Amino acid sequence: MRQTSLRFRLLGEKGQTSSALLSLALVPMATILVLVTVMFWVSIQKGAVGTPSAIYTLNNYSEVFSDPFVLRVAANTVIFTITATLVALLFGLPIAWLAERSNVPGKTLIYAIMTLGLLIPGIYTAMGWTLIAHPRIGILNRWLVDLFNLNEAPINIATPIGMGFVQGLSLSALAFILTAQMFRAMNPTLEEAARVHGMGYGKILWRVTLPLARPGILAAVIYILTIGIATFDIPAILGLGNRVYMLSTFIYLKVHPQGAGLPEYGITGVVGAFMIIVAGLLTLWYSQVLRQGHRFEVVTGKGYKPALVPLGRWSIAAWCFIGGYTLISKLLPLLLIAYAALTPYFVPPSLAMMRQLSLSHFYGMDWELVLRGLTNTAILVTVVPLAVLLLGFSISWLIVRSRSRARYALEFGAFLPHALPEVILAIGALLLSLFVFGTSIPLYGSVWLIAIVYVVARLAFATRALNGSLLQIHRELEEAAFVAGLSTFRTAWRVLLPLIRPTLFSVWIWSALLVYRELTVAVFLAVHDNITLPAVIWSYWYSGSINKASAVTLLMTLVLAPLILAAWCFGRRSQVSAQ
Amino acid sequence: MISISRLQKRFNVSDGVVAAIRSLDLEIAEGELFVIVGASGSGKTTLLRCIAGLETPDAGEIRIAGKVVSSDNPPTWIPPQQRKLGMVFQSYAVWPHLTVCENIALPLAEGSQRIPRREVAQRVQEALRLVQLEEQSDRPATLLSGGQQQRVALARAIAVNSRIVLMDEPLSNLDARLREEVRGKIRELAKQLGSTVLYVTHDQIEAMAIADKIALMQAGELLQVGAPFEIYHKPTCADVAEFFGSVNWLDAQVVEAGVADSPLGKLQIESSSKVGDKVLLGFRPECLSLSDSGANCSNSFQAKIGSSTFLGDQFIYTVIVNERQLFGKNRTIPQSPDGTALCRVSPSDIMVFPSRSKNGG
Repeated sequence: MRQTSLRFRLLGEKGQTSSALLSLALVPMATILVLVTVMFWVSIQKGAVGTPSAIYTLNNYSEVFSDPFVLRVAANTVIFTITATLVALLFGLPIAWLAERSNVPGKTLIYAIMTLGLLIPGIYTAMGWTLIAHPRIGILNRWLVDLFNLNEAPINIATPIGMGFVQGLSLSALAFILTAQMFRAMNPTLEEAARVHGMGYGKILWRVTLPLARPGILAAVIYILTIGIATFDIPAILGLGNRVYMLSTFIYLKVHPQGAGLPEYGITGVVGAFMIIVAGLLTLWYSQVLRQGHRFEVVTGKGYKPALVPLGRWSIAAWCFIGGYTLISKLLPLLLIAYAALTPYFVPPSLAMMRQLSLSHFYGMDWELVLRGLTNTAILVTVVPLAVLLLGFSISWLIVRSRSRARYALEFGAFLPHALPEVILAIGALLLSLFVFGTSIPLYGSVWLIAIVYVVARLAFATRALNGSLLQIHRELEEAAFVAGLSTFRTAWRVLLPLIRPTLFSVWIWSALLVYRELTVAVFLAVHDNITLPAVIWSYWYSGSINKASAVTLLMTLVLAPLILAAWCFGRRSQVSAQ
Repeated sequence: MISISRLQKRFNVSDGVVAAIRSLDLEIAEGELFVIVGASGSGKTTLLRCIAGLETPDAGEIRIAGKVVSSDNPPTWIPPQQRKLGMVFQSYAVWPHLTVCENIALPLAEGSQRIPRREVAQRVQEALRLVQLEEQSDRPATLLSGGQQQRVALARAIAVNSRIVLMDEPLSNLDARLREEVRGKIRELAKQLGSTVLYVTHDQIEAMAIADKIALMQAGELLQVGAPFEIYHKPTCADVAEFFGSVNWLDAQVVEAGVADSPLGKLQIESSSKVGDKVLLGFRPECLSLSDSGANCSNSFQAKIGSSTFLGDQFIYTVIVNERQLFGKNRTIPQSPDGTALCRVSPSDIMVFPSRSKNGG
């Protein structure tokens, strides 16, 4: 009895900081659980959701799964996701191999292109590719029709495969980062052994390197599938106007119906619940594959210097490949957006059009709306990264340092947002603010609702980066400070934070940039007062004002460019991007 | 200076509870260089961390300089910040973002002691002088060699409090040659400052070389506490004897007062064991003396020389007596041309313990 009371007391005094941190760390976890619960709760209601008149029933489920339209949407999503994953690997994997395992020149540039590729919003690529390959206005189609006297446009980007292609271009950067990491961790002595025993480079690649890389590639595939299946922005930009739907855009339509339709929240809840389950299963599979990957023991802590494959004249081909990828995924879309922003109406570029370039769309845009978007985006970019850092640091510190069993729960909790696509978080937050908070907590239509979802969504990345960084700080560095008389706060301030400062900064700037460009959550939750800058682009685009949307995009890019540069410089120093 | 009674600490691990320290009592006098030695996992670092306040004991009491810092009755807990201890960590824990000088100054200026700026500079200089690092004062700590970083850690510890210093395997990250040099310096410095030092190591030679007093820890308990000479030559149990050096073990039975029947033959022993008692006899390899000829006196046996290894300063060899293999250590291996020798062990060199199931070897 006395012993228990002693333990309790000691923990109470020594663990004050821990318990304060713990309660802080539990907030995002609780938020996610609430969001998921609300989704399931809404999915079993018919009628006025959340009111006493609502009827609890499973009819929504039978309705959704027997609707042929939903089945077509689901088929679209599968085709789209598979295409996206294949295209992402088609570009990401060879470039990762080139950067890590060959002697191709200009590796810093490759890393710059691919890392920054993560930061260039997917909607840029999507808008650009609409301008390139849309059946009606796409310049490529127009040229092909003129050239071969065709009756109709030969390419249609607004199909599941076309959209998957664009999504894949956008996800190649992620595929690159995931697989480059794997190539780097691979034990080069395994390849050297093959070479010493007389195998050629091609044989080694085929018989040793790739089989060893298989778990890593599979993990990357699952990771990309998880993202692809619930992605919203690219299918929305390319497909909504052309009535080609994915699950994510289908949900959007149910929440924001066109014309006189009423929102069908029950249906939304069902599709959301379905996506949660699929994403959860994929995440389970992912962690399984990662665990099995360790069996191969290709990961080594030692500082091996891998033997690089000499490319010789093939370097030129390699750079053509990388350059081609950069051109079609980044440069061409950006150029066309800039062109669209400056032309009075969108037709293929010609000398005559060049004379008509003007800033008229900048004068003509609704500046009140744009400034409102800019203000909201500014608030989000200021608040969200700070909150992410604070929560992420608390969670990471507890995961890495504490020995209580609660840390396993925390680790799982920090991973949850990774398993849940942003679309799900956005709808959950929407349903929560509409039907649970209602008027008692007026979060609906407020920028803070968006902020909360952003914080939760960014936490998985932040805790992962901070965990890695904290793990490298020996526990004794903190303990030495405690024993030497420094208070907990001073220990954090003078010892811990300075040591992980590069990571903190990197996490901060990445969170800021990802918040700045985010479209999914913003589009689902934006009403009037809380519209963000990307949502302004979206509203112009969705209403058919392609040129004005491009003009706002151009404005947005002007702010983005220096930030991306800063991210690159600091990211290189702390190598957070590599995590 | 440090006194511990009934200390207990358990850890929750994946497959149950492990008792790291079980009801341990310990008394360390002022100015003493006290070494706790034990195999890894014996609980010695946990004990040190309990004293520093980095672990919370489950029960028992710890006093430092007469003041209770942790107790279950009445419940008391002083956090590490207020225990005012100097501590040297196994990894040195030299803060890599600070210079040598800042490493020592930080706890003085911003720790619980709040020493005024002017005095801080003075104490930093003093500490650096003691460890001979004045020249390196403004260098970033990470640019120093391992040995120098170790000295920074030492300087920081004595600048915080030179009265009581805790050291957790402070030499284990240094190479062998440096280790010998530094352990001499640590002892010298501790005696010069009159510090009470509690020193934890797994290396019995290091412990012998540095300690005023040694405590051997095993499975969360202290087996024996004593001066190095005492603990080496008068171990209270077979485990202690074996930890501090190799031993030739023989199962034997007392056949008359002061004589035991062993696999080697009859051995004279200095023991008060009763006739008929089963005993375990042990003697260290260096106590086995060899000669190529000589009178057949008591406790001497005809032996056949087995293998031998030359280590420079001595040979390590095996001899076979009555089909039992024994280890010996000597500067030379005297033997007659037929490869035999006379080996002898003095009765005062034979340690006698109550019998245990352990087989001789």
